[in-house]
Amino acid sequence: MTSRQSLGAVRSSFAPWADPTATPLVRFEAVTKRFGAETAVKSVSLDIYEREFFALLGPSGCGKTTLMRMLAGFETPDEGRVTLEGQDLAGLPPHQRPLHMMFQSYALFPHLSVERNIAFGLQRQGLAKAEISDRVAEMLALVRLEGLARRKPDQLSGGQRQRVALARALAPRPKVLLLDEPLGALDRKLREETQFELMALQQRLGMTFLVVTHDQEEAMVMADRIAVMRAGEIVQTGPPPEVYEAPNCRYVADFIGEVNLFEGQVETADGRLVRLSSPVCPQGLEAAEDDPLPKSAAAWFAVRPEKMVLHPTPPPPGPNLMQGKVADIGYLGDWTTYVVEVAGGQTVRAARANAARVVENPVDWGDTVWLTFARDAAVVLSR
Amino acid sequence: MRAGGLAFVAALLLAACSQDGGRKPARASDTLHIYNWSDYIDPALLADFTKRTGVKVVYDTFDSNEVLETKVLQGDTGYDLVVPSNNNVARYIQAGAIEPLDRARLAGLDKLDATIMAHMAPFDPGAKYTVPYMWGTVGIGYNVDAVAKRLPGVKIDSWAIAFDPKSLAKLKDCGVYFLDASEDMFATALNFLGKDPNSKSAADYQAATDLLLAARPYVRKFHSSEYVDALANGDICLAIGYSGDVLQAKARADEAKNGVKIAYAIPKEGGQIWFDVFVTPKGAPNPDAAYKFLNFMLEPATIARASNFTKYANANAAATPLLDAEVRDNPNIYPPPEIAGRLFVTTAKDQALLRDVNRRWTQVLTGQ
Amino acid sequence: MKRRSLAAIAPYLWLLAFFLFPFLLVAKLSLSDQALAMPPYAPRLDLAAGVAGIASFLKALDLETYLRLASDRLYLVSYLSSLKFAAVGTVILLLIGYPMAYGMSRFPPAGRQALLMAVILPFWTSFLIRIYAWVAILKPQGLLNAALQGLGLPALSILNTETAVYLGLVYAYLPFMVLPLYAVLERQDPSLMEAAADLGASPLQAFWRVTFPISMPGVAAGALLCFIPMVGEFVIPDLLGGPGTLTLGRTLWTEFFANRDWPAASAVAIVMLVTLVAPLVFLQRRASTLAAAS
Ligand SMILES: Nc1ncnc2c1ncn2[C@@H]1O[C@H](COP(=O)(O)OP(=O)(O)OP(=O)(O)O)[C@@H](O)[C@H]1O
Ligand SMILES: [Mg+2]
Repeated sequence: MTSRQSLGAVRSSFAPWADPTATPLVRFEAVTKRFGAETAVKSVSLDIYEREFFALLGPSGCGKTTLMRMLAGFETPDEGRVTLEGQDLAGLPPHQRPLHMMFQSYALFPHLSVERNIAFGLQRQGLAKAEISDRVAEMLALVRLEGLARRKPDQLSGGQRQRVALARALAPRPKVLLLDEPLGALDRKLREETQFELMALQQRLGMTFLVVTHDQEEAMVMADRIAVMRAGEIVQTGPPPEVYEAPNCRYVADFIGEVNLFEGQVETADGRLVRLSSPVCPQGLEAAEDDPLPKSAAAWFAVRPEKMVLHPTPPPPGPNLMQGKVADIGYLGDWTTYVVEVAGGQTVRAARANAARVVENPVDWGDTVWLTFARDAAVVLSR
Repeated sequence: MRAGGLAFVAALLLAACSQDGGRKPARASDTLHIYNWSDYIDPALLADFTKRTGVKVVYDTFDSNEVLETKVLQGDTGYDLVVPSNNNVARYIQAGAIEPLDRARLAGLDKLDATIMAHMAPFDPGAKYTVPYMWGTVGIGYNVDAVAKRLPGVKIDSWAIAFDPKSLAKLKDCGVYFLDASEDMFATALNFLGKDPNSKSAADYQAATDLLLAARPYVRKFHSSEYVDALANGDICLAIGYSGDVLQAKARADEAKNGVKIAYAIPKEGGQIWFDVFVTPKGAPNPDAAYKFLNFMLEPATIARASNFTKYANANAAATPLLDAEVRDNPNIYPPPEIAGRLFVTTAKDQALLRDVNRRWTQVLTGQ
Repeated sequence: MKRRSLAAIAPYLWLLAFFLFPFLLVAKLSLSDQALAMPPYAPRLDLAAGVAGIASFLKALDLETYLRLASDRLYLVSYLSSLKFAAVGTVILLLIGYPMAYGMSRFPPAGRQALLMAVILPFWTSFLIRIYAWVAILKPQGLLNAALQGLGLPALSILNTETAVYLGLVYAYLPFMVLPLYAVLERQDPSLMEAAADLGASPLQAFWRVTFPISMPGVAAGALLCFIPMVGEFVIPDLLGGPGTLTLGRTLWTEFFANRDWPAASAVAIVMLVTLVAPLVFLQRRASTLAAAS
């Protein structure tokens, strides 16, 4: 997260989606795609801006690849349209679209060496031989594969192949680079390294990236904006902090990171404060919220584990206080997660940073503990 | 006598693999193994033979002399009787591939027609090794109407019709077949040119080669059996062929009632007479049964029935009155004396001559 | 250990039994002389005479037959003619078989099985019968001309021409070309074509730059599988060809059956084997060492 924040700081002013005068580079307009009886993509509208690093996030089978393939031209939308720089892409075959895709399976040409794989797109553009070899050398240096130029794909490791695939898609300098699960096959360490490489690359080349992933952490780290998909629909689009801190529904809250959801009935909602009655909390739940809610409606408070406060001894009574028993403790090194069983059988997660090496009065399995959260730590959700 | 089978692939394998012969299996003493041309015996005859003698007959067939000879020269055929044509017999004898017959054990040899047997003398002097089965001729088979249309008023009584480019040119469009049998074709060509059909002179063979080469452009195919169907279906109008085959084509056309009229002619220049004969391969497992069968076939009544079935003539003078009138009175099966007098027989060639004739034949076929 | 070493030499035993041994027999036969005997060649190995027998046997072997093959152009001409039939046949087979295999491999999987069956189906009937069927189709009063006549078109006389031979060759060997091609094309990852299109290759470019090169092993396998047996093909040229159709198979037939010259037939076979198979084995060796080196 730290690196992202430093990068984010450089680009803190980058937010074309907030600028009403900006025109998007790629535009999905109410796009629907069906496979037989199944609707893989349902009326999706999405704008992606020049130089943006955009992530499509969602569980397996939610339609991410299908959406991307419609942009690349491998699938035709049943309804709606896809435009690039304002131009409708309908009827334009894949090979005439100025965007390249890095395939989930890499799809390297097995009969061509690394350098000829990379040169493939350049040759199609009809560049001069000298220019091609310069560009190939540049790309090889970029992905640090200089020594392997003459190898065939089957003589490379998984990580090396992934770099070749990336270099091949990058070499012709596409307007938009589509990356479908680019890091899926890599181990954790290599994946994190590559995430930062990708981001640095995108910055340096000034290209627009559309990345598909089902790894929310990866999306958070890399993207300027994330679109969360569910069963063919986009449920929320926004920059990572917004999606994380202000999810617009339980699904997003639950999908991005860990979350505790407290269900209750609205007692009062005056436009400043929402009060819920809930079985887990005798004194009720309270959260700061600007939007008024109808009385007696069902509502949920979403609280991230790191925003739950764990008390080994009972704190003074008040709202947002619940008592429970420690059911599980997960030590993660930097953090420790406590799973607490509260009234009604609900389990609540609380995370504590391990600020000191040795903690006095450590909380143990079976201990009775108390949990609280601040009013502004909760997000109020009505769906 | 009919050649051009394809079983040679199998024969090749056989020759390549069983250098010293597969050991023949023990054969039961009451079983007779015969290897004969396909469609060449009345099955009822075999049944009668078994009924009479108690000897079971295992009857296999082939369709080319070449395949038969390859097998016999290889040795250990496992057969008691095989039926080669006269051309091949001399080589069998020289190679020691067949057993001499004990004439004392054969009854009825005296009834064989002396003039016919005289034709066999060049191959098997004194008939020491062979007993004749059937004989026939090489002549012209033709589609009567189709030829009459193209050669109006011409009588089919000369080899010129089959060899003269002028008449062949008129027949080319409706199809001419020649036998793919080098020795028979060269003998026929030599005879037409007025030379000795058994000539050993290179000049004679050169003349025959020239004659055949001149005719070649008008010949649709050289094949030794396909002309039967081709004639019967009306696909072609003329073929140089074997008497029995042409008669078979005629029978098929009559049966099909397709309006095709087939006739056979032995031209006035004369034609080749050939024989298929019974011989006993060396090492025959059951010679006793072979003698029983030969005696059976030497009975006039038996061989008459055989001829009635095959529509070929036999060499047994005593059998002639017993034949169906349709066979006996057919001049194409039993030629009248004036034609019979013009028949000639070919003699065995030495290896060098045979090779030369075959090489020339390849030249005729391919121009190479 | 014993078991392993046996497994290691098993392929060599197989080669020895089914290739080398018959080859040596035929090679020996080609050095013999024709004879009027049973079997019709000399000398024969007389093992009873011991070493002296073997020595005199070896002394009697000579290259006379090969010299004769060299002195008559017929053998060279028929060899070249067979090579021509096989080469042209292979090219036609590729031109027909490739699109067929390609189409099959792009068919929905359920249909593919049916198509594959259809390709294999002819093997269930005898090869000879299938070639005779072509005679029935192509002959002057045959099915083809009946159909043409029905359509009011002039009759064709194809039977007994080189055209008929090519028809027969292509018909008979098509499965041998289609199956290996299909095997490589079907295995090919469809995302490769998408990747090529994505990088700007038109469908035609994608085919020539990606699909075709990757299918080369199938092309080579299919071509070899067809070319080699077609050089030695006898039945098809004999049944469908004309009198002038000269092939090695026919020349071999004449030597073996008409001339009863087993040594000459063997020599022809040996020359064909050595000049045909040896270069191919060499090429294949080279290809695999190149592949290993790169
Ligand atoms: N060619 C196709 N034919 C039929 N159904 C398809 C096809 N392609 C995708 N689908 C269906 O559409 C839905 C969306 O598929 P898609 O590949 O877009 O998912 P995804 O989000 O990329 O999943 P993953 O993360 O597993 O790659 C799935 O239910 C899938 O089964
Ligand atoms: Mg996907």
